[in-house]
Amino acid sequence: MKRLLSIREVPIFGVLVLFFGVAALGNHALFSASGLHDLLFTSSIICLLACAETLIIVMKHIDLSISSTIGFSSYIIGKNASNGHGLLYCLILGVIFGLAVGAVNGVLVAYLKLPSLVVTLGTLYLVRGLFNQVARGDFINSDKVPHLLTYMADHTFVKVPYLFLVALAMAIVVGFVMRHLRSGRDLYAIGSNLPAAHLAGIAVEKRTFWAFTAAGGIAGLGGAILLARFGQAQANSGLGIELSVVSACVVGGVAIAGGIGTIYGAMIGALLLQTIVMALGALGVSQFWQGVVNGALLIAAISLDKILSSRSQRTQIMRVSA
Amino acid sequence: MMSKLSALRGNIGWDKGVGILLLVTLIVGSLITPDFATTSNLGFVVQDIGEIMIIALPMAFLIIAGEIDLSVGSALSLVSSTIGYSFAHGISFGFAILIGICVGAATGALNGFLVNYLGLQSLAVTIGTMGLFRGLCFVLLGNTPVNQLPDFWTGLGVNNIPHTFLPWSFVLIAPLVFFAWILLHHTKIGRWTFVTGISAEAARFSGIPVKRFKFLMYVATGVMVSLAAIVYTLRFASASPDSAMGYELTTIAAVLFGGVSIAGGFGTMWGVIFSVIELGAIRSVLQLVNFSSNALQMVSGALLLFSVAFPKVIELLKSRREARVKKPSPSLASMRSVE
Repeated sequence: MKRLLSIREVPIFGVLVLFFGVAALGNHALFSASGLHDLLFTSSIICLLACAETLIIVMKHIDLSISSTIGFSSYIIGKNASNGHGLLYCLILGVIFGLAVGAVNGVLVAYLKLPSLVVTLGTLYLVRGLFNQVARGDFINSDKVPHLLTYMADHTFVKVPYLFLVALAMAIVVGFVMRHLRSGRDLYAIGSNLPAAHLAGIAVEKRTFWAFTAAGGIAGLGGAILLARFGQAQANSGLGIELSVVSACVVGGVAIAGGIGTIYGAMIGALLLQTIVMALGALGVSQFWQGVVNGALLIAAISLDKILSSRSQRTQIMRVSA
Repeated sequence: MMSKLSALRGNIGWDKGVGILLLVTLIVGSLITPDFATTSNLGFVVQDIGEIMIIALPMAFLIIAGEIDLSVGSALSLVSSTIGYSFAHGISFGFAILIGICVGAATGALNGFLVNYLGLQSLAVTIGTMGLFRGLCFVLLGNTPVNQLPDFWTGLGVNNIPHTFLPWSFVLIAPLVFFAWILLHHTKIGRWTFVTGISAEAARFSGIPVKRFKFLMYVATGVMVSLAAIVYTLRFASASPDSAMGYELTTIAAVLFGGVSIAGGFGTMWGVIFSVIELGAIRSVLQLVNFSSNALQMVSGALLLFSVAFPKVIELLKSRREARVKKPSPSLASMRSVE
């Protein structure tokens, strides 16, 4: 029991179940299969992007540009598909675009040693501006979205929406890398103690660069999911989504101070945020409170993390080294 | 420490460089398009950059002190929404503005409390409050902006000072700019700001009440943001929940382009002021030659990246050249660079 509780994700999962239960008591429809389906379906994008963001936050960096990347990528995929290109070709274009943005971030952060906040703030702006310039008033509507994507959005596999399965598959892959491969473990080392990571002979620059590039690639792939989820793409697709993603990660126990946290925690965080939004709806609270709750929850999560970490510094060190 | 010393030397040149760049932009602008150097366009530029200028002043203090505030855009919108909401609910407009200023101070106080007394990272905290304040705007106003503001007040936002080409907001902005310059470079508070940014620990040991100081700095930021919100609300004659989207990025881009170090401790007020005007000038030139408004977004992003990447690249090149020219013992090399 004690060991179970010491896993960082368990309390968050408990809170998730608690919230879902409370919300379901207020509105029984939520507890049905369709309620669960809605929860997984709507949070699939945040879950997917949380995989990218966790890679970055664990290194004590931040990537704000993913919202612009995913938006532009969804437009690229939709536009090429409506021009008659095959889905695979469009997907590859989207992912390459994401990788390119990620690589730019990576070069500036890893090799020029610029603060990631400023760099990704800049690329957030740059990519969004470029997107607006290219898309103008253009609008990819649902009958231009590739058939396979529409199918994935409308259908489920054993009651689980396909879109969420994509996010889950990504989480398992990235989770495996971060848990078991040296390249993944290095990210934790970089985040928890940068000078020590240097001294231990970790190729800090290379790892940082590739982590940012991978995050961009995941966001590029996410463009397809975004397109499938909303059935449309336009100049403001994905706008502001980076805040929800960072919130999800932090709420899910990925410490903003670096070195701690897992993909699965971040995904539980994303589900928790979405549950709260749905709970508010089910309890008849106006949807306008959604932003307030997201912001408040993020602040609460950081505060709680700070209080807990200063109280149990020793166990934390043990956790990092584990 | 040594790299910071050399950064200091670099930054003294940087702010003058921005001033020169501004001059070049003005000259080139007036050559490219005859509409640029007209008094009406200059008045427009002043109006266009008004809010950014007002927010950039406290932001410069915050970044020099080693902190940051990403919530300024949302806070501006919240103050504007509060003013609109109060007015729509029968409170006189003057009093609504007072309430707005109180709300602005409260937003700053919340940030300051979380950062200084709970000891949280300002970056993470203000991402949170950014979402929080924006959410509150929608809670207050829903999706409907308040548009019927009293004519006397909106006239202040739109009209020029009689017999001049300057908008009324200039009356507010000019003294603020002057005051901010005096405060940063010629008072104890300014010196405290620099010291805190270089080393908060050293500042604390030398008797500066760092926590209270930075807390008050956030509160002051909130008040300044509410002044910007008043200018913004009057200018657009509307209080809407989605105002000032992305202002935090533009402001931070302007401050960093003005030569303030993101690591804290270095920067000048003149650099920031020149940089904001330069931003306005570039925007104006681009608009006059019919660039779309999307290009402006890209310009902000590019300026931001450029202003952090450029000094780094120069530094890198310089250190590489030095390493190639002379290869004495490393201690000797570092002694040279201190001189």
